[in-house]
Parts: sequence; C-alpha cells; structure tokens
Amino acid sequence: MKLTFNDLSFRYKTHTILQAVSLEVPKGSLTAITGPSGEGKSTLLSIVNHLWRPDEGARVSGDAMARFDSGVINLLSPHLDLPSLRRKAAMVFQNPVPLPFSIFKNVALPLAFAGIRKKEEVHRRVERALIRSGLWNEVKDRLHDRAALLSGGQQQRLALARALVTDPEILLLDEPTSSLDATSREHIEAQLLTLKTHCTLLLVSHSEAQVERLSDRIYQLKAGNLKRMR
Amino acid sequence: MIKARRRPHEWIGEGAAATAALITFALTLAIFGFMGWLAMPLLQGETLTTLFTSVWRPDRGQFGILPMAWGTLAVALPATLLAFPLSLGFACFATHLAPRRLRKTLKGLAGLMTGIPTVVYGFSAVFLLVPLIREMAGRGSGFSIIAAVLVLALLISPTMILILISAFEAVPQPWQRCFDSMGATPEETVWHLLFPLATRSMVGALLLGLGRAIGDTLIALMLAGNAVLAPTDPFGPARTLTSHIGLVMAADVESLEFRSVFACGLLLYLLIFVLTLLVRYLTRRPAA
Amino acid sequence: MKRWRRLLLHGGALLSTLGLLSGVFFFLGHIVLKGMPSLSLALIFGDTSPLKALLFTQRVFNGLFPAICGTLCLVLLSVVLALPAGILTGVWLSHFGSGRAKALLSLCIDTLAGVPSIVVGLFGFSFAILLHKISHGTVGPSLGIAALTLSVLVLPGIVRNTQLALAAIPRETHLAVSAMGATPVQAIVRVYLPMASPGIFRGAILAMGRCAEDTAAIMLTGVVATAGAPYALFGRFEALPFAIFTIASEYSGPEELAQGYGASLILLLLCALLFGLSALIASRFHPDTP
Repeated sequence: MKLTFNDLSFRYKTHTILQAVSLEVPKGSLTAITGPSGEGKSTLLSIVNHLWRPDEGARVSGDAMARFDSGVINLLSPHLDLPSLRRKAAMVFQNPVPLPFSIFKNVALPLAFAGIRKKEEVHRRVERALIRSGLWNEVKDRLHDRAALLSGGQQQRLALARALVTDPEILLLDEPTSSLDATSREHIEAQLLTLKTHCTLLLVSHSEAQVERLSDRIYQLKAGNLKRMR
Repeated sequence: MIKARRRPHEWIGEGAAATAALITFALTLAIFGFMGWLAMPLLQGETLTTLFTSVWRPDRGQFGILPMAWGTLAVALPATLLAFPLSLGFACFATHLAPRRLRKTLKGLAGLMTGIPTVVYGFSAVFLLVPLIREMAGRGSGFSIIAAVLVLALLISPTMILILISAFEAVPQPWQRCFDSMGATPEETVWHLLFPLATRSMVGALLLGLGRAIGDTLIALMLAGNAVLAPTDPFGPARTLTSHIGLVMAADVESLEFRSVFACGLLLYLLIFVLTLLVRYLTRRPAA
Repeated sequence: MKRWRRLLLHGGALLSTLGLLSGVFFFLGHIVLKGMPSLSLALIFGDTSPLKALLFTQRVFNGLFPAICGTLCLVLLSVVLALPAGILTGVWLSHFGSGRAKALLSLCIDTLAGVPSIVVGLFGFSFAILLHKISHGTVGPSLGIAALTLSVLVLPGIVRNTQLALAAIPRETHLAVSAMGATPVQAIVRVYLPMASPGIFRGAILAMGRCAEDTAAIMLTGVVATAGAPYALFGRFEALPFAIFTIASEYSGPEELAQGYGASLILLLLCALLFGLSALIASRFHPDTP
C-alpha cells in the first residue's frame, strides 16, 4: 500500500497539531516519523486508520490518499467503512493492551470481527501471524493460557500478531518498543525488518538510533512541520 | 471501495439496547402514570379537599391522608437526624481514625449491614425492643414512634455510611499526604480537609437516607402501632404513608378508600422525585 | 486544633461506630440465639418426610418449605427478568446514549432507584388488576406478577452496576479494540461485556439479595400465608420474608414463634451468603474495594 499526504493540517480545538504537512510512504518500505514527544506523531498515524473522532473537536483539511491493492481511497472521507479500513491498516500501540482472554483468542479476535468463522482457517491464520511476529515457538504449547501471563516483550509481539492476523496492507507502529527492555526491543526490531515483504510499515519513534537502524525513509515532525531527513 | 455500510448486527444490537433503555424509561413514567390514573377519581372535585384534611373516616367518605403524611415525617425525620451523625462518625472512624488494620474490616461490615433483611430487624425488634419501651414508658403497648425511629435509624445508616466513605475516599490522596506532611493529626485532616471538601456529598447522603426512611414500609408497619392519629407522643403510635398503603390494600377494590392509597403512592413518588433532583444537584460534578 | 476538640471528634466517631455495631449485634444476636435451637428438618418440612416434600409428592403444611421454595422461585424469576433489560440499558447508557436522552434516562434511573418498594408493589398490583380485566379473570396478583414487580425494583441497581463495570474499562482498550476493526456492537459483545462480567455478576447477586428480602412489594402482588409450594406462574405463593412478617403479627403460640425465629435466621443466612459472594467477587477482581 502506498500512502500520500498533501498539505494536511490537523487542528484540535484551538491547537494546531499538523501544519500543512506532506508525506509519502512507498509500498513495501519502512518509513519512520521521529521527533520530540507530544508533537502529534501519533495523530499522524491515527489519520491512516481513522482512529481520531471528528466529534471530539478535531478539524482536518488537505489531502490524505491511500492506494490499496483494491483501489485508491480518501482517508479523510466521512463515509469510510472504518472496520474494513482498520483491518487493512492495522496498528500496534506503545502498550501491548492484552485483553483478558487466552493467547489464542487475543490473536483470533480480529478474524471474528471480520466475520471469518471457519475453524481451520482461523487456526491457520493465527499460527501464521504468531510465526510472523516471532512468538509462535514460545507459545505454541500454551495457546490457551491467559495472555496476561506473558512477559512484556511477549505481550508486545502478541499485539503484533494480533495486528498481522487480518493480512493488513500497512502496519502502523506507535512507539512499539518504548515500554520494553533492550532484549525485547531487539527481538521486535528484527521481526519488523522481516515483515517488509508482507506489508508497508509506518513507524513512529522518538528514538533516533532505532529509526536510523530500521528505516528506508525518515521524516521529522517538529512544531507541526514535517521534514524529510532521508 | 471501503464504503460505509450498516451491518445488520449493528442495528440489531443498537436497537436492542435502545429498546431496553426505552423500557426502563417507560417503567419510570408508568409507575407515576398508574398512580395518577388510579388516584384520579379522588383528585377531582370535593374529595380533593377532603384528601388534605386530618379526618380519616372512610365510612363517612372522608379520606384525609394528612395524619399519615405527618406520621411519615414523625418517623422518617428523627430517624434520619439520629442516623446521620452516627453514620458520619462511623465513616470518619472507618476511613481515617481507626487503626489501619481495622479499617478494611469496618468498611466490609458497613457493606454487610446493607444486606440485613428489613423484616429480620422488624421481627427482632417486636420481641426485644417493643417490650423494653413498654416498660420504660410505663404506658401504651410499646408499639410506638420511638421504636420505629430507633430501628429505622439502624436500617438506613449503612447506606449513608457507604456514600460518606466513598465521598471521603474521593478526596485526592496527595492532599491528604500534604496534610500529613504538615504534621496534621488525623482529626485535623478530617475536620479541615474532608468535611469542607465533602460537604455536598454529606448533604446528599443525608437526603438519600431520608428518602430510604420515607420509603421504608416494614419497620413502620411492624413497630409504629399504625393508629390513625396526628403523631404527638414519641411513645404513642403513628401510621406512615407507606404502612397506610399496606394496611388498606386488603379492602375492596372499587371503593374510594382504596383510591386514597394511590394518592399516598403519588405523594411518595413526588417526594422521592424531589429528593432525587436535590441529590443530583448537590452531587453533580462541578463544570470543568 | 484544641486538644478537647480532637478528643471530642475522635471519641464521637468511636462511640457512633460502637453504637451502630452494637445495635446490629443486639438485634441479630437475638435472632441467632433464639433461632439456632429451632433450626431442624422439622422447621422446614414439618411432619412431612423431606424426600416426599422435595419430590413434591406430598404437601408440607406446618413447615417453611413452601415459603423457601416461593422465595427461591421469586428470586430466580425476577433476576432472569431484570438482567437482560438492566444490562442492555446499562450498555445503552455507556455506549450509545448521548446528550439529553442520556441525561433524562439517568434521572429516571435515579428516581426509580429511590421509589419505595411499596409504591412499586402498588404499581405491580394495579398492573395485575389491568391484566385481570383484559384476561377476563385468569391473571391476577400471582408469582409471575410479583416477580415482575421485584424485577422493576432491582432494575436500577443492575443498570448502575453494568454502567460502572463498563466505565472501568480503560480508554487504551477501547482504542486497541477499534484499531482491530471491530464495529461498536462487536466490541461490546465480544470484549467489553466479557471484561465487565464480574461487575455485572456482582450486581445480579445484590439484586438477588434484594429480591429475597423485600416484603412490601410482594405483599401487594400475590403473596399469601398459606398456598403450598409454588404451583403455577399465575398462582398465589408463599415467601420467606412474608412468613416472618405474618408470624410477628399473628403468632398463636410458642411453636409458631420458634418457627418465626428459625425463618428469620434462614433468611439472614441466605442474604449473608449472597452478600458474602458479591464481596468475594469484588475483592477477587478489584482488590481495592472492600
């Protein structure tokens, strides 16, 4: 999936968060957005999966287009089918948010939302997602344990599997490693590099080092302005 | 592609929730409506004026419910005024003044006290408190306003205690630690921090307790003696609006005597509605 | 703060705590002391053999068995009636309702929670009279009507508990579930309600306690002193709290009085059991609340 923003502005009540920014995320790349915290990097991500709510005082203008395999859509259109969009543009948050169910159910839940009920298919896709997120070997014998029993790093990879299970065309990563220790962080970083063959990645991170290590393309967001660094 | 569409489960689910909400709303109105509808024959013409007199002589067509209204006041008001300071003391003790080990137990006990069946209190009091009062007063049967007041106070205090405890616990911890760091004793924290900050909730608890006392039927019915008299003597009997409803209901369904019961119900409903409005006004969150 | 005022405050708080607790122990101790000796199989089954009574082959005349059965039926029926409506109303309030409609319904629920149970009973009674006229005399004050009345009585509690349990779900979870592509209803059914189930369950148990102990509402909707075990949805029935009430006002001898104490103790234990259960659930899932 290819993403293009043109002259995109985002205001929240009286604050300007994004000031006429332009951005291009090529298909199959890992593009990173870096910059000081609290500057609206997450807002930029939330435009892609429409996780901002128009009724909460947010105002957007400009262009935000996404070219999916099935066609081009305008991300700012008020007539989007949000559930389908969010299956195509999945998200991993800073905190893993394990739901109080089993490991298996945590990963299978998005499939249930998508209306996929065939047992074999659900099993196949959950297994594939867990393999892609690098968690399969650790949990394959205890899929029915509660997700909360996993370690922090494992929980984050569970969140990654949960995002991958619907075969998204773009993966939105909002500071995915900032709540983890160094070992877990490396584990996730390695996993992200292998994912580029399956989908486009858009990463938000305040860590310049991490961004340097992973990205094909780097933007910096500062005081509402977005600047291409690489 | 990705165009908005309504999935059937969406409107089924939202529709079911909205239907349930509508049912709840309709029930609240229906209770009021039924009372008003059935009390109607009494609320018209002359009988309306006899309704607010103190003469209850159904055989002569006089359905004054004033004695019962006074009875409700005579029982509910003293019970609330007695229970409130006791509950306040309990809540202060359980949250700040008791040794730490005891606090959780005390809170748990207050919760358990809300679960004690009213009829069990009533039964116990009939055989324990009533004879005691008969002997102390040296007259009457012992079934008296004071018996009802004492048991009712015990019955409504757990409700007030729980509201007060949650109000005290809503006072931000950092402020309480700040008081501690200034060398305030727990008593001073209670007096200078909790009471000023929780004043509105305290009045709210008082009013909710009053509402429960007004609404209680069993204690008054079992202990207050039920004579239709304007209450004057604490050792004498009284009949409340609620017990009046309970006592008259055995009678025949088409008489006007029976209708007066719905007027009582209407009056109780309105009283509770006004109390609810007051409590909501007092405990609403201040505008941010 | 002056020393004497501190002492006054502390002493006052201590005395009111002791006063309230001793009041409770005074009345309950009396019930336990007098009720313990009368607890026996004969108290429940009278002269009938327990087995025959439990199989409903023989009617129990001088035991509490019919009243206990009546109360159990009443509790189950009314909670089954109130739960779906209460949960759905709670869901509507916390997920779909907005603006004035939500504020209005919220006011209604607060009002409904305060309406005296005898007034709700009166409502149930007039509803039964209405049904009686419509159905030409086949339906009147009965078990079904009483259960309906009690379900109105406990509805606001269930709504509020559902609402509280749903409100305790963090915003983070809401975002994560939306990002997974869930529609609002899918998110509620598959994630939020399962997460809120301990709180909702606790509300249901408190409602059961309320149904078991309430006397005023059923007094007007079909409870009688002798009816035997509940036999039909639209038949008269007996109930434990009403049995206690009747014995207190019209007992004829020490035997009946002992039965009254026994019944009080059984009801007390039943309510204590339900409350203990709800406290257990609360401490299991929210270690902070008492």
